[in-house]
Amino acid sequence: MTEPKLTRTARRQRIESFAYPAAALVLAIAAWELIILIFNIQAYLLPSPAAVYSSLTGQASYLASESVPTIEEVLLGFAVATVVGISIAVAIVTWRPFEKAVYPLLVASQEVPQIAFAPLLLVWFGFGLTSKVIIAFLIAFFPIVVNASAGMRSVPSEMLDLAHSTQASGFTILRKIRFPFALPNIFTGLKIGVTFAVIGAVVGEFVGSGNGLGYVLMTANGRLDTSLLFAAIIVLVIMGLVLFLAVSMLERALIPWHVSQRNVVTR
Amino acid sequence: MPMTDQGGTPPSGTPPGASPDAVRFEGVGLTYPTARGPVRALTDITLGVPRGHFVSIVGPSGCGKSSLLMLTAGLRSCTEGRVLIGATPVSGPQADNGIVFQNDTLLDWRSALDNVLLQVELRRLPKARYRQRAADLLHSVGLAGFEHSHPYELSGGMRQRIAICRALIHDPHLLLMDEPFGALDALTRDQMMCDLQALWLEQRKTVLFVTHSIPEAIFLSDRVVVMTSRPGQIDKIVDIDLPRPRELEMTTEPEFNSYVTVIRKVFERRGVLRSERETEPGKTLT
Repeated sequence: MTEPKLTRTARRQRIESFAYPAAALVLAIAAWELIILIFNIQAYLLPSPAAVYSSLTGQASYLASESVPTIEEVLLGFAVATVVGISIAVAIVTWRPFEKAVYPLLVASQEVPQIAFAPLLLVWFGFGLTSKVIIAFLIAFFPIVVNASAGMRSVPSEMLDLAHSTQASGFTILRKIRFPFALPNIFTGLKIGVTFAVIGAVVGEFVGSGNGLGYVLMTANGRLDTSLLFAAIIVLVIMGLVLFLAVSMLERALIPWHVSQRNVVTR
Repeated sequence: MPMTDQGGTPPSGTPPGASPDAVRFEGVGLTYPTARGPVRALTDITLGVPRGHFVSIVGPSGCGKSSLLMLTAGLRSCTEGRVLIGATPVSGPQADNGIVFQNDTLLDWRSALDNVLLQVELRRLPKARYRQRAADLLHSVGLAGFEHSHPYELSGGMRQRIAICRALIHDPHLLLMDEPFGALDALTRDQMMCDLQALWLEQRKTVLFVTHSIPEAIFLSDRVVVMTSRPGQIDKIVDIDLPRPRELEMTTEPEFNSYVTVIRKVFERRGVLRSERETEPGKTLT
């Protein structure tokens, strides 16, 4: 489908959608700087934006190299969560006994704080990559399962009647109808999941690690180097945003037909 | 006007021994369990749908008229009696029918042409061979040039036309339509009614058509089956003896209206419809 030519109003709306949050952010940073000046807050309690900026630039290569293991953990955890999450959702939707047996347990399992298992996972899988990937996976996979199965289950019954009237197999119906129908929900799950995966990886690094941005946060905190701490947080925020935007772009590319992705409806 | 009160098919013009009916309901009943106990949806339905005829089922909500279609399609099973397609009892989804629902049930991510071809894909028929036929069908319902449009770019009437093409692409003998125009506005309905008649006159498929609308049923049908509810049963079968092609002006003529009156009387007698003066104070409307 070709991108419709933007009207003047549409272009203005697009600019505004960036300009407004950018202006708010600049104001917030200015207020932050001002509060530190007015109340004379010590740097170890709250660093000024300028100090954070100089940490960010001064230790850029350190932050960049520590980002690598974190990104690895996030991407691997998220990838496993996507594959396992969607597979379980497919099983829930297509196999009734599995749904009855597993779905309530899955929901109940969310009352268990998975992070509480982080120390145990470290004992089991060591201080390396594996334990963090598992923690990221554990946190990211639930929203993916729930959204994917909700999407595949919300196919209208008439649509399914039509499909069954053709004597199509369950797999064909899944491939041609249920799965594409659920894509908008699946992407909702993936967008939540990728954000959660970042949290999981950082928590894993908190609990025990010799590298990664979570480790940077812990050591900076220990040394009361709050400006480095804020710099690491900013890197994490950027990482989360980039991953979120990547999933959003994939969504746009794969489901241009969905109502949430349409700019202009021609009728 | 010719009229029969229960079942039966005039055997005129059919060879002896061969069943003239494309579909036959023989003492069909349907009871389904609910939380409040079993509900009887259909009882003692005996009805023949002659091959190549357009038969409408008209009745109030909840009279089980849609269930009759589902039983014919083999998507539900009856608890009593049996449904025959030709000479074979229905026991599961049928290969030789096409279904149109009230909602167009189009897939948003597919173009008009690909939505029509969905039927072909699901039935594992060779898609390449049906591509031209799909385009021709869309052309015949006035959608030439819209083959590559997506459902969200089209109006309700256009979408339902695509759904009708999808039901016809594999050239089934039987077309099942469940209130196909129920979600459309009045003007579009009239247009669709005329276009469906033209399509039917051209293809002469057996059609089982469920509707709420008495005029729509009379306009389109060779025979109207009037159903009443609780439990769903056939009250009257009215053969419509009006010349074809029928035109919208006919709906205001006395002959057409006498059919409307006959069917409306059934609903009045059953308390589905009530005129003002018959409503006694303190009595609740059903």
